[in-house]
Amino acid sequence: MDAAMLYALRDPAGVPSHPIIFLVLGVLTWALHIAAVQVMLGASALTLYGAFSRDAHWRRLAAAMLTTAKVAVSVAIVLGVAPLLFVQVIYDPFWYTSNVLSARWVIGFIVILIMAYLAMYAFYYRNHDLVRQPTRSAWQMVLSLVLILVVGWIMHVLSYQMLLPEQWMSWYAPNGEIDPGGQTLHGYSVTRFAFFILLSVAVVAAWLFAYRRYLMGRKQEDAGYIAWLLPLAHKLMLAGGVVAVASGALWLATLPEKMAWFASSGWVWASAIALLVAAFFPRLLGDKLDQGLWGYAPFGIGAAALIVVASAREALRFITLLGSHGYDALDYKLNLDWYSTALFFITFAMLGGVVLGYLLTVAWKAGQTKGVYTPSPALTRLGNLSIALLVIWILQYFAIGFYVWAR
Amino acid sequence: MEYIGLYPMWYEPGVGSGWIVGLIATIHVLFSHTAVGAALFFAYLATVSYRRNQPELLDFIKKYGLFLLIFSYVLGSITGPGIWYSTTVASPRGISALIHSFVWKWATEWVFFVIEVVGVYMIIYLVGKVDRATHLRISIIFGLASYGTMLIIIGILSFMMWPGQPEWFTDGGYLNGFYGSNTFAQLAMRTAFMFTMTAVVGGVVAGAIKDAAFKQEITRKLALLGMVSTVAGGLMFQWYMNTLPDTAQVIFENRLPDWFGMSLIATLAGIFAWFAATWLQPRLLTPSIAMGMTVAVLVFGLWPEEVARESLRKPYVAGQYVYSNQVIARDVPGLDIKSEIPLLEKKGFLQTKVFVPDRLRSVNPHNALQAGRSLALTTCSNCHSLSSTGMRPLANYFGGNTDVAMVKTYLQGALGTGNTIYMPHIPLNDDEAYALARFIVSLNPSPQPVVRTAAAPEKE
Repeated sequence: MDAAMLYALRDPAGVPSHPIIFLVLGVLTWALHIAAVQVMLGASALTLYGAFSRDAHWRRLAAAMLTTAKVAVSVAIVLGVAPLLFVQVIYDPFWYTSNVLSARWVIGFIVILIMAYLAMYAFYYRNHDLVRQPTRSAWQMVLSLVLILVVGWIMHVLSYQMLLPEQWMSWYAPNGEIDPGGQTLHGYSVTRFAFFILLSVAVVAAWLFAYRRYLMGRKQEDAGYIAWLLPLAHKLMLAGGVVAVASGALWLATLPEKMAWFASSGWVWASAIALLVAAFFPRLLGDKLDQGLWGYAPFGIGAAALIVVASAREALRFITLLGSHGYDALDYKLNLDWYSTALFFITFAMLGGVVLGYLLTVAWKAGQTKGVYTPSPALTRLGNLSIALLVIWILQYFAIGFYVWAR
Repeated sequence: MEYIGLYPMWYEPGVGSGWIVGLIATIHVLFSHTAVGAALFFAYLATVSYRRNQPELLDFIKKYGLFLLIFSYVLGSITGPGIWYSTTVASPRGISALIHSFVWKWATEWVFFVIEVVGVYMIIYLVGKVDRATHLRISIIFGLASYGTMLIIIGILSFMMWPGQPEWFTDGGYLNGFYGSNTFAQLAMRTAFMFTMTAVVGGVVAGAIKDAAFKQEITRKLALLGMVSTVAGGLMFQWYMNTLPDTAQVIFENRLPDWFGMSLIATLAGIFAWFAATWLQPRLLTPSIAMGMTVAVLVFGLWPEEVARESLRKPYVAGQYVYSNQVIARDVPGLDIKSEIPLLEKKGFLQTKVFVPDRLRSVNPHNALQAGRSLALTTCSNCHSLSSTGMRPLANYFGGNTDVAMVKTYLQGALGTGNTIYMPHIPLNDDEAYALARFIVSLNPSPQPVVRTAAAPEKE
């Protein structure tokens, strides 16, 4: 598959903004998505562990992590839409080919994800009160976790096959015979998949620090439970850091020849440092963890580390496709469209920022309050502003639309 | 070497890739339309609850919201990207055309989508945990953000049928592609029908209400919403049909079955009658009957509508420039897009398609059947099953004809000229037409192909 063929597969419509914007947004949103995925995986694992335990603290944690996992699936899906969009914009030849070559699994991904999600909800409805009631139908949660790992594997394969254009024809037409069934997952790297999955240990540890800080903000919360969470979070963070570095090293040691440059690149060093900083950050904070909002900082630092890892992952893709296959994702034909570009960024920054800022603040404050929470006048004004911005957005939609229609 | 960027093909012999896309899309429409309608309905109920001091309405919001969390937000949020995934494998250049023109619009929708998902959890789980004015505020935000997703996707769906303005072809520009009369007609129609779906699905929750008086109140609210929206949707459907391009009107009259229009009217009448009955006798409403009605709407309303919409834009799949078989069929100077037809006329598919095994790049007596299969996969299989089952089986269109020369002549005459309504222009040189004809003939149960061409004299 030479460069001319890869370029021919590009969409002739071009892109409406410079490709670097899509590349950067792809990295950032993928980091957010994978963070949610890893919280979901880690929370699911903790739910299962706690559900099989008789320890009261573990059972309480299991209940909380089940709720976390349930919401994290939603968040992971909604956040996953953005990188899925951006990868199609500048890497369309690779993404579409990889998908078509494993098409049945792509369709299977949808079905399996639905089953995984429903299994988790089924377990939730069977276990409304894990703290007081014995665990029922634990197999549903096991099934959910297994299925989630399967969809993760499918997504891994689809991403990894993008990097192997030299093998596409042999997959599509082995021995010159076209096989359009799309029933095979062709290219994979077990060590790469393991690295991103095992990273969830450290990520869920960072999440536990934030969860603990959240509970500390609530009045009359069980101090014993809060104290119990701290060493658990530290232990998981340390174990997660070690596992991440070890599995990462294994991944690097098993890189195929054309990607071997990556193992000694600055991207890897930067990622390793970022992950180690994130792993040791809670210990560096020491008692400060219990002061102010510092308890949330480990998760923030963890998210920043994930952005570094996401950047390294993108560098591996970009440089491999450029160096080994002559495909430069940044020289995509430009058909600049200022209006839609500006509308997105204004919507994202202004409307998204204000509305989500309002909603998340209310949710957080309500969670910290016993009884009915009434927002401050300032927060209420933010809520009114949120409504106003949404109304203005809808009005501009119709105003511009009618103008274009009528002219 | 000049290539055209056709991707490998996915061929699903059972039902066909098109039907898989259609199935996922239809289910998603039910989930998503119900969710958007419910979001606005919740905002209304929250307002009534706040003004009339009726906290039980918030309980209904919570119950219906919890049901929708699974029904619409779990399944809907997966089937939404599921449409992308399924079209990616079934029609990669079709979805690519939409993505590359409307990436920022989809990214903007994503912002609303994030707000929507956060909002749905909040309106459910914060009932009784925040003051009612705050809950009302969140409900309104949720409703407006949900409708925002509808506003955006409508423009993209309209573009699939026909770019909003003819200037889009010459000048390009997102606004020209997004906005047109079809955009607003479709928006009006879908807005009405989304309330119909909300009212039908809401019956599943309302039917389970124990308190008779409250059940009556909610059931009548849903019934009223359903009756008004069904009538409005029917009227908006007429407007929508009037905004369709001439070619779509011709296809509607000639290609859709005669019973299509009548079945649509019957479905709407049936839904209206159902709402009228539950308005008169709220006790008729039970969760199982409401679930049955939901399935009926899916099968008799949404599925035919989605199939018809897919048919009406034939032979194109996106923007009246990408054929169903993925070939770019016309110039779009506004985006510097060139038709691929001239290159195909000059060099053929096998020489120019990226994903063709080298041994099939030129047709010879030994590979004609396989080259024909490759051509059928490329040019036909998006819309025609190559087996005896699935969507519009290809063999059925040739009446069991085993005369390769006759089939070849037909292919070159009917398709090679681009003059057959509903079908794409498929330029086929002699070798490729022969290969494709050989393959089509081989689809007959007991093919004894009559091969008469001098160019390829081999017989089976």
